[in-house]
Amino acid sequence: MTLRKQGVLAALALGFLAARETIAGGGTVVFETTSVYHHIRVVEAGEYRSLLFDSSEQSRIALADPEAGRFEYIDYFFMPWLWNVAMTNVLMIGLGGGSAQQAYARYCPGVTVETVELDPAVLKVAEDYFGFRQSPRQRVVISDGRMFLQRSRRQYDAVLVDAYVEGRYGASIPYHLATQEFFRLVSDRLATNGVVAYNCIGVLQNDKADLVGALHRTMKSVFSQVYLFPARESWNVVLVGTRDAEAKKAHELWPNAMPAWQSGRLRLPTFFQRLGVFRVAPPASSLNSPLLADDYAPVDGLLGGMRPLAPQLRRQTAAPR
Amino acid sequence: MNGLTARLMVFTSGFIVMVLEIVGARFLGRDFGGSFFVWVSQIGVILIALAAGSYLGGAWADRAQRLRPIGVCLLVAGLFTALQPELAPPLIVSIVARHPADAPIPMVWQKLDPVLGSAVVFLLPALALATLPPYLIRWSTGSLGRLGRSSAAIVASNTLGGIAGVFVTGYVLLDVMRISSIFRLMGALIALLALCCLCADRLGPRGGRNLAPLPAAAGASTDCS
Repeated sequence: MTLRKQGVLAALALGFLAARETIAGGGTVVFETTSVYHHIRVVEAGEYRSLLFDSSEQSRIALADPEAGRFEYIDYFFMPWLWNVAMTNVLMIGLGGGSAQQAYARYCPGVTVETVELDPAVLKVAEDYFGFRQSPRQRVVISDGRMFLQRSRRQYDAVLVDAYVEGRYGASIPYHLATQEFFRLVSDRLATNGVVAYNCIGVLQNDKADLVGALHRTMKSVFSQVYLFPARESWNVVLVGTRDAEAKKAHELWPNAMPAWQSGRLRLPTFFQRLGVFRVAPPASSLNSPLLADDYAPVDGLLGGMRPLAPQLRRQTAAPR
Repeated sequence: MNGLTARLMVFTSGFIVMVLEIVGARFLGRDFGGSFFVWVSQIGVILIALAAGSYLGGAWADRAQRLRPIGVCLLVAGLFTALQPELAPPLIVSIVARHPADAPIPMVWQKLDPVLGSAVVFLLPALALATLPPYLIRWSTGSLGRLGRSSAAIVASNTLGGIAGVFVTGYVLLDVMRISSIFRLMGALIALLALCCLCADRLGPRGGRNLAPLPAAAGASTDCS
């Protein structure tokens, strides 16, 4: 092979490698691995570092401050404070980059967070690239969320579920974490004033069967009240199931959190501002959506009916509106 | 039994096996979670059943030379499948519950427990269904001269049934039917196959019992001198 040909091949190889280091829409891949569950990438773009599972953005931090830059919907995982004013322990299903866990560590210093994550590779990436640290107040168990709940006998003040993934080929949700039997299990593991908060993606105005409607109907079959927190900056909707005897309005609830706020047990700066999206009315689709059960849970069919994300936004789990 | 009937029967058996495999991953997920090991177990157990069933079916076809035994076997498998929604849960729960609560399950059991669960539910029906293709190759083949073509038609029909089973389950059945109803439907289909075998046995063979030998090849000679 001549020196010139070798040079051309080397240039092509370098070009290929360079192309691999940048992703569509900009950004530099700083870490990449394939676990048994995901193609995991850590991507830096501008002032942010993101965690991607396949083509779906799971977590984001600001490079200047790892505890900033989180998605808006993470703030709605603090809403259990409206019902449980003395929270000390929380179970979270799904780790991602650890945004919610780190936000709890920062803004709720008296709360212990136990996280169940299925993929051990995700824990390593969260620790290596997103500043997540295990400690006595931040424990991680590698397990399936439902299996963990089945085998655990602990009681939690809140259970937060963030197992939703959205990619270019559509969204997916583990069906066994969306059924009536799952929510009964969650209810059994909740303390007296325990609350469940569940993140999914959808719209509230859709009157055809969809996942938000099905989740609302299913949660309502287990919890006496289900409230909605639709994010302003994305399509995320956080459903909150509680044991209120009667549905309450935001102005009746926010005083509950004041003692925790005044005592410094709750420090999330945006907490009261986020109450602006509070919604009691069920989504339009809940009447036409099925009740999800272990025996019948067409979650993939329900997700398939959702509107496609705009191409430039498909990478994001928290797809901007 | 004519070739078309045999092909339809093995198409149906392949269809049922793959419906059970896909639905099985959902069925096991409620107790073993959404782990990768559930799919590994499900695929592995079904392949074990297919390998063992094919071998046993071939050996059995040579020995029994009747369809009645396989018909009875399929009838039992059909009943077993239809009753899975009631029979399986306590057995699967006992697999999980033998590990102490609040202590991690050892990795080896995280991998092998779904295999046990899958075997409890799916080994018998998949094994019974896998005996059918070699049996029907023997039953529907008139002469050794057509053995290649008839066995290929049976194997291809069985595989096509499996392909249909995968897509119909993934794209339609799980969206419109309860898992328990799918089990009942598959149980009924297995029982239908059993009845076909019993009827064919009563009507007599088409030629599978004593295959006509290959005609002597033109120009062949035993003279080695």
